Amino acid sequence: MSNIKIKSKNLNVYYGDKQALFDVNLDLNEKEVTALIGPSGCGKSTFIRCINRMNDVIDICKVTGNIEMDGININDKDLDVVSLRERVGMVFQKPNPFPKSIYDNISYGPKIHGKGETKSELDQIVENSLKKSALWEEVKDRLDEPGTSLSGGQQQRLCIARAISVNPEVILMDEPCSALDPIATAKIEELIDELKKTYTIVIVTHSMAQAVRVSQKTGFFHLGKLIEVGKTEKIFKNPDNKMTQDYITGRFG
Amino acid sequence: MNIVLIFLITIFSVSLFFYGKSKTKTISIKDNIKLNALPKFYGYYIVLWCSIPALVFLLVWSLFEPVIIKSIIIETAANQGAIFSDKNEANLIYEKIKAIHLGTYFGDIDSILKESALAYAKFINLFTNSKVVLIFGIIIASVIYSLKKIKNNNKARDDVEVILKGLLFVSSLIAILTTLGIIFSLLFESIKFFSVINIFDYLFGTNWSPQRAFVRDASSITAAEFEELKDAFGFIPLIAGTSFIAFIAMLVAVPIGLFSGIYMAEYASIKVRRISKPIIEILAGIPTVVYGFFAALTVGPFFRQVGENLGLTVSSESALAAGLIMGIMIIPYVSSLSDDVINSVPQSLRDGSYAVGATKSETIKQVVIPAALPGIIGSVLLAVSRAIGETMIVVMAAGLAANLTINPLESTTTITTQIVMILVGDQEFDSPKTQSAFALGLTLFIATLILNYIAQRAVKKYREKYD
Repeated sequence: MSNIKIKSKNLNVYYGDKQALFDVNLDLNEKEVTALIGPSGCGKSTFIRCINRMNDVIDICKVTGNIEMDGININDKDLDVVSLRERVGMVFQKPNPFPKSIYDNISYGPKIHGKGETKSELDQIVENSLKKSALWEEVKDRLDEPGTSLSGGQQQRLCIARAISVNPEVILMDEPCSALDPIATAKIEELIDELKKTYTIVIVTHSMAQAVRVSQKTGFFHLGKLIEVGKTEKIFKNPDNKMTQDYITGRFG
Repeated sequence: MNIVLIFLITIFSVSLFFYGKSKTKTISIKDNIKLNALPKFYGYYIVLWCSIPALVFLLVWSLFEPVIIKSIIIETAANQGAIFSDKNEANLIYEKIKAIHLGTYFGDIDSILKESALAYAKFINLFTNSKVVLIFGIIIASVIYSLKKIKNNNKARDDVEVILKGLLFVSSLIAILTTLGIIFSLLFESIKFFSVINIFDYLFGTNWSPQRAFVRDASSITAAEFEELKDAFGFIPLIAGTSFIAFIAMLVAVPIGLFSGIYMAEYASIKVRRISKPIIEILAGIPTVVYGFFAALTVGPFFRQVGENLGLTVSSESALAAGLIMGIMIIPYVSSLSDDVINSVPQSLRDGSYAVGATKSETIKQVVIPAALPGIIGSVLLAVSRAIGETMIVVMAAGLAANLTINPLESTTTITTQIVMILVGDQEFDSPKTQSAFALGLTLFIATLILNYIAQRAVKKYREKYD
């Protein structure tokens, strides 16, 4: 059994008057892929946005309860969000490269955190990140071209490289393949398999097949509640909960 | 007379609307046929047919009637022995005849004038009567035509659409033709100017003193006068003054406008935004003449006072005062346009930046502003062209002397100020001084046109990127 990296205890999230998450208790294991499934609007994305405090950006959002990483409460008001986000990277649903060169897209994060003080150090970080995201071979000769000139799948791998560039411990992926075609999706899934050796990964997905393929642990959310969580194999073969059974067999959702 | 006619035509067509509508209904019930369009379309159809031909006829008639009557009257007067050597004299006699007819002429009336005035009255009567008769003829003909069409259950919907499309087309045509007309009148007057003054003397001359050319007949200019005129119309001091004041205005407007735009778009809560945005936009609604006298009566003297205290010579009309006030006037343009472009930068870019740990100001500086830059540049260029074309503030606060200076405390002048100065008061239309206003106008027009074009290209380029 691997170590628990992130542990949420009685996590509640409110958007104004509307409660989006109800008492979520979920453990994420280190260097493992955890998939979160469930119908749209069930709170999966809200949950992962708690892990890097992205919900702070939304004025009306309020988070109560604990969410711990290595025993430290992420939800603590005094926690330094900048260094939290250095440790917890995120990849979004739609590829969102900055309107900058490929190189600048990757070096953006390290520069912000004061990493890579010399040009050669930065070059090294950029190269390593692109290699880890399996993009290096495709772009090494055109690092000064805009990131937006890449194809959708390449853009998403660029965004993964951007997340890796600051050397995080956890990578959150919010439906990273929903805007991609099957070939690009396969590449990203392959990449996730590779990345889990180094990083703890949480992936939100609408594709059951994807959850089965990439994850070791799966959590099923419904209407803001974590209905069931367990080993991926068990969830998809023999779930305890009737609702989970119905969802994965396509009877609702 | 025309107003009465238009009124009658309108009343008549509106009442025909109801007639047409009910008529088609009865037809469809009586003959038990399916109409090709809703009854109201038949109403529209008959209204349009009844009004447009008559109104177009009235318009054309009103345009040509005076011209035709004038040529007839001048000819009759000539036949009766009136003597005029050129067009101007003929015009004068025609105006006299008209005045006699209206009873507003108090000079001596000889027999020729008297006879002509009677002839004029006769023609006016004839023309008016035939106009009325013809208009009613046209209305009756078009009503008969459209009723016949309606009875045949025509495709009224399609016909109405075609007519409306035509109306809209004509409206845009009028707008385009007016613009072209203005441009050509600028162009032709400028060509007259440049036939006297060499275009290179104008573009590169450093001395602007058009009063030297006052009361000079362009056609009878002597070589000596020509030499003197040559360096009276140097454009450089004006463009220098214009750019200088616009530059000062931009120094004020760009930072303040841009920063307030960033604040509005990124930091202000919805509540603050809702209150403060309209307040900033009030600045844009203040008439420029108010800014002008504020600059001339408050800011200018204040600067002079401050300058005196510091031991500086400050002209009470200074480029600084005019530029400063103009900058304040332009703030809302920059702020509201840059607010818009910053708002249209997708949230996903900001999220991406926050997610790697960037703070808000880092995100704005390194992601949002670069992404919005083309749009921001566009908004600044639009503001520049506004500053260059601005008149009232500089007329009141910048001064009139065409000094070639870069001292903001001295008075200077702009293209627009000089145009005002040239055209205020008495002038001869064919003197180079008056015509120089058209040349200045043309130059100004070309300059702002180029700026607007570049600005729109920049904004468009930006839009293509994120839509």
